[in-house]
Amino acid sequence: MRVSSSVRPLFLVTVVICAVLAGGAARIVQDQCGPFTDVSPGFCPYILELYYLGVTAGTSATTFSPDDPLTRGQGSVFVAKGLNQALARSSRRAALGQWWQPRYFLWNEGLAVTPLPDVVLGPVLSDGADVWVGGSTSVFRVRASDAKLLDTWTIASPAGAMLSAMGRIFVAGGSFVPESGVLYMIDPSAPPGAATEVATLPSFVMGIAFDGSRIWTANDVSVSIITPSATLPWPVTTVTTGIQFPSGAAFDGQNIWLTDTGACALFKLDGSGAIAQTVGLGTAPCPLYAPVFDGSNILVPAGDSLRVVHANDGTLAATIPIPTGAALVSFGGERILVESFAGGQNAPRGLTLLRAADFAVLQSEGFPGIGGPEVGGIASDGVNFWVTFRQTDWVLGRY
Amino acid sequence: MKKLLILPVALAALLAGGAVRVVQDQCGPFTDVTPAFCPYILELYYLGVTAGTSATTFSPDDPLTRGQGSVFVAKGLNQALARSSRRAALGQWWTTKTQNALGSTTVGANPVFTVADGADVWVTFSEHVLRVRASDARILETWTGATQLNGAIVAAMGQVFVTGYSAGGNHWAIFRIDPSQSDTTMADVATIPSPISIAFDGARLWTANGDSRSISITTPGPTLPWSTTTVNPPDLGETFYLTFDGAHMWVTATNQQFVEFDEAGNILRSVPLDFGSNLGKPVFDGANFWIPDFGHNAVIVVRASDGTVVTTLTAAEMVTPTIAAFDGTRVLVSCTDGVFLWNAADLTPIGFTPTGAASSPYGSSSDGINFWIPLEGIDQLVRF
Repeated sequence: MRVSSSVRPLFLVTVVICAVLAGGAARIVQDQCGPFTDVSPGFCPYILELYYLGVTAGTSATTFSPDDPLTRGQGSVFVAKGLNQALARSSRRAALGQWWQPRYFLWNEGLAVTPLPDVVLGPVLSDGADVWVGGSTSVFRVRASDAKLLDTWTIASPAGAMLSAMGRIFVAGGSFVPESGVLYMIDPSAPPGAATEVATLPSFVMGIAFDGSRIWTANDVSVSIITPSATLPWPVTTVTTGIQFPSGAAFDGQNIWLTDTGACALFKLDGSGAIAQTVGLGTAPCPLYAPVFDGSNILVPAGDSLRVVHANDGTLAATIPIPTGAALVSFGGERILVESFAGGQNAPRGLTLLRAADFAVLQSEGFPGIGGPEVGGIASDGVNFWVTFRQTDWVLGRY
Repeated sequence: MKKLLILPVALAALLAGGAVRVVQDQCGPFTDVTPAFCPYILELYYLGVTAGTSATTFSPDDPLTRGQGSVFVAKGLNQALARSSRRAALGQWWTTKTQNALGSTTVGANPVFTVADGADVWVTFSEHVLRVRASDARILETWTGATQLNGAIVAAMGQVFVTGYSAGGNHWAIFRIDPSQSDTTMADVATIPSPISIAFDGARLWTANGDSRSISITTPGPTLPWSTTTVNPPDLGETFYLTFDGAHMWVTATNQQFVEFDEAGNILRSVPLDFGSNLGKPVFDGANFWIPDFGHNAVIVVRASDGTVVTTLTAAEMVTPTIAAFDGTRVLVSCTDGVFLWNAADLTPIGFTPTGAASSPYGSSSDGINFWIPLEGIDQLVRF
């Protein structure tokens, strides 16, 4: 489309007028700080950011009232919404553009599942790149990016708990009859083979945690503290005082926390394994499973609910009912996935997804016709959750 | 044990269900919060940001003081940082405390600097660069083709760049590693006068050229060699370590200066530091620079926005701090036979971890999960 010479002057004048008006308009808008006419330039970038993020809509369509006092309630909304935005935008899923929430769980066609050849699958773990699954005689390494089975390591006793620390994978397990426990170590940079036994433990290991220098195991009736050393076997200190039936352990950056079904309590341990604080969670005995730390709270699966305990003071902050039952829990930064114990009377095997900020249930679904006597495993790699479950055979699913 | 659990499961289900309903009606422990505010206040309560004004009240209509507001924002920010780190998703809440807890890999004589590209860690030596898989520290490749590599390394544009001497070309150069190629020979891409360090600004590679008292800016192009502009700002002194803050390039220089440049390499600002400072390699944490000062056994924290020296950090164990690294929440500083960690949010010390006698930790980096520390004295690469 050519512009004839006769209309060019008019066209140019119009362009200039439009530019001036647009410039003027743009200046006015900038002076106004988005839709707000009462915000000074010093405050504008910050208020505008909160407006664009949806943290605030102002006090009217054109005012923000920056000099008005803020109530504690309004301040809470600002901070909570800002925090949620920070979490959502800084997650790996945001950087990868994976904003979706899966609409269904594991048995749906098209879900990425990897068959793993073992009679039972136990704990699941992510080291940041690969996912590790412990079985009765094997430990599997699965590439997280495409769920391809990479390596298989062998273990002599079934795995009960796993840990990624110090660049190594630790697998703890044993047997109930005869009672024995063992800690294996895998060097992921070495060719696959038999896992190295680094410590002998008094009984089957239900949970494992690391405090930055020592490995802690929650055994069937005790707690063991293992100190990594230059020579094998590594020295083990076992504590039994006050401990009945531990079911799991978690580290909060300061202390080890231990769930004990016999005491129906959550114990905070000091550096020597002595009980420093007891948080009662009901009438003993009660179902409690391996705890997880979410940055503020210790999350304890308790059969039909998730108990939320403030780590800083041991307050029981909330009891969140889990429709499908709660035996395994994993924290992914923004979300929490809870899996039920298989075959519980009031807790059919299933999964419930929670928003970590306020424990609102995002998704919950039972597993009719699927399940069995074995407990699988659950873990997060920061992008996906990984869950072991049994259809005909055991598989690892990515959620 | 399993039989014992069955009855308590049913009882716990009833009791827990009742308790939860009451709590939710009240907005957690609070009886004075309206439904519209409840989700947000409850979130802050669960996160430990607030405990309310009493055991049962939050007083949502009370004015928020500047002090209370600061607590809300700072605690909220800390939670966002802690929960958004990859270590949180992996449940790795610990900080390594002992030498035996370092995962180590033998990598050969005198590793100097490291950089992470997101999947692998690259380690510089005097005449080669090693590619190590970050997930398990397996050594993948050895890249050669240069001599007198001085340790400067940066990962940018899907490639890795180092500086060293080109024996064939008889000049100092920037060398390029293309990780996608099977030929592990580094390519000489630009001639530079005696480079000490290298950094990337999103479009161009900058080098600080030591005793030539200059800065070079190299623009990648379709043909080799890439064009380079070298500037000699007056009164700059010798230039050492470059750091980019997202807007401008900064360099440590002699005469106790920390210097900010504009895009053309002109000096925008010079931050004078205490007499006697000997500056190591800084790191930018999103707000501040952390500059090791081995002249004073200190770390100087400089605000990038205005060049203010925020504070100078010291600790008894922090002897000869040289290189700083940042992992999103923590700053690690390599010292004599150990590393010192600080919380980046509030600048509080986390503590010192020894790396062994004569281990000489040096050019550390972070891959977002772990710090990687080359132990120059004992030929190890350790994961922290």
